[in-house]
Amino acid sequence: MLETRTHRLQRALASLVLDGDEASLEADPGGPARRQELSQTDQRAFRDQGQAMMTYRELTRLSLSEPLETMFPVLKALLEGADAWDGCLQAFLEARVVGSSQYRDIAPAFLGWLASSGWGQVRWPFLLELAHAELLEVLVARFPDSDPPQDLHDEPTPDDLIFLDPATQVVSYTHAVHRVREEAPVPEARPTHLLAFRNAEGDVRLKELTPVTAALLVRARNQSLAEAATTLNLPDLAPILTLLKDLCREGAIAGFQTST
Amino acid sequence: MAQDRFTGVGLGLRRPHLEQVAQMDNHGVPFWETCPENVIGDGGRDHRWACAILDRDPVLTHGLAISVGGFDPWDEAYLRDLDRFLVRTGTPWHSEHLCFTRVDGNCLHELLPLPFTRDAARHTIARARELQARLPVPLLLENITYYAELGASEMDEGDFITEVLEGADVGWLLDVNNVYVNALNFGFDPKAWLSRMPLERVDQLHIAGHKRFGAITVDTHGADVIEPVIDLMQWTLARLGRPVPVLLERDNHIPDLDLLLAERARLQTAYDAAMAPVEVRHA
Repeated sequence: MLETRTHRLQRALASLVLDGDEASLEADPGGPARRQELSQTDQRAFRDQGQAMMTYRELTRLSLSEPLETMFPVLKALLEGADAWDGCLQAFLEARVVGSSQYRDIAPAFLGWLASSGWGQVRWPFLLELAHAELLEVLVARFPDSDPPQDLHDEPTPDDLIFLDPATQVVSYTHAVHRVREEAPVPEARPTHLLAFRNAEGDVRLKELTPVTAALLVRARNQSLAEAATTLNLPDLAPILTLLKDLCREGAIAGFQTST
Repeated sequence: MAQDRFTGVGLGLRRPHLEQVAQMDNHGVPFWETCPENVIGDGGRDHRWACAILDRDPVLTHGLAISVGGFDPWDEAYLRDLDRFLVRTGTPWHSEHLCFTRVDGNCLHELLPLPFTRDAARHTIARARELQARLPVPLLLENITYYAELGASEMDEGDFITEVLEGADVGWLLDVNNVYVNALNFGFDPKAWLSRMPLERVDQLHIAGHKRFGAITVDTHGADVIEPVIDLMQWTLARLGRPVPVLLERDNHIPDLDLLLAERARLQTAYDAAMAPVEVRHA
């Protein structure tokens, strides 16, 4: 289908706001219109309003980068320290991966782009984990509410399956990325297992788990607690049942369901 | 009529104020405006506060998600969710911006100007008619600020807006701050501009603050409303001769709720003063 002039004008503006090499665009703001094979008069309109056209570049990039600066302050501090933050933003914008119209989806799109592109991860192997950990609390805090099944009980028995609250996340990292801060953004390299959940007030809580407890919380969603404990070589289930009851009271676990 | 519930000056519902507003019995705000995409698909504590307010108070809805003048296909899942949301809130209309925000599957999260051309007007009219057919309430389109014309224009902004509103047969959310900002940037008289516009299509006004950056004034929604913009609001209300709702937008540098309520009260006083002669005429 032949693209209309209107469509090509929109593509030219998108190109002007997202493409790299700002110096070239400033020197030749008609370039994006020319590359879209728009008429000389349309190219002239881009050139003659160069400064105003570049305002759109500034505003759009501000809109797309603001949520990243808010959501990833430690990652930003790390990259700024290496003079790499702007390059990271530019690579993200040029990848054009922000498909959702919902503003809150920009930060997850950035995380997805880091995962798929591998950007910066040769130099900073913990970068993806750091970004994930920074976003984790927000994702848990804003996870859509849903009603748990009716047949859950709050006292676990060895025959039960665990039913986590839908917002709860069990995550495992190779670095202690939950301990970093803007002043010290490089994490210690050590296996880390976290439970992120909402309490009754809706506040997000993070708990560091032992590897075995993390594995049990994952396994016992599809396998009875007794079977999961056997698989994981856990001789005594009693302290585990106490911990699970506490996690249920705190809101991480929605309840327990008899395994059939 | 549902619209009768919506007069005076309302406020945009913003995340930092949700808990406080939800717990206030008597905030004095006649209605709130909410952005559906900020609520749809969200969850957690703030979401519950937002829903409590939306279920309790009169609400108008105003979206950023739909690229009315763009070429990307509609987001069918979003439109289904939006339909349910609009019905739930009881809003008498839903407004979107007369602009494009998406290109080739990428959302730019900025209100980008449409070319002031016959082709763009035809395309936008067709899209607005399609969108209207998908919504359970009337669609309003809002005039945006623009900082440059996209390509060589075949008409001016006023003619473009008029052609789209009339061609699509939709209502107008008239942002008086946007008119004022465009008048500053392009050097025209905002009242003369408004005088030739189809004001009979106006169902709602927006008002906000702006800021000058070098040679260009930007619609920041981040400052108090200045007197010339309040004057333009009053002039427009008097010209309309009917009490359309006005919405105060504040999206950046959001102040504490008490300061924002005071700003709303200041605008309400100006609104009442503008409407007093109209009410006398109709008495």
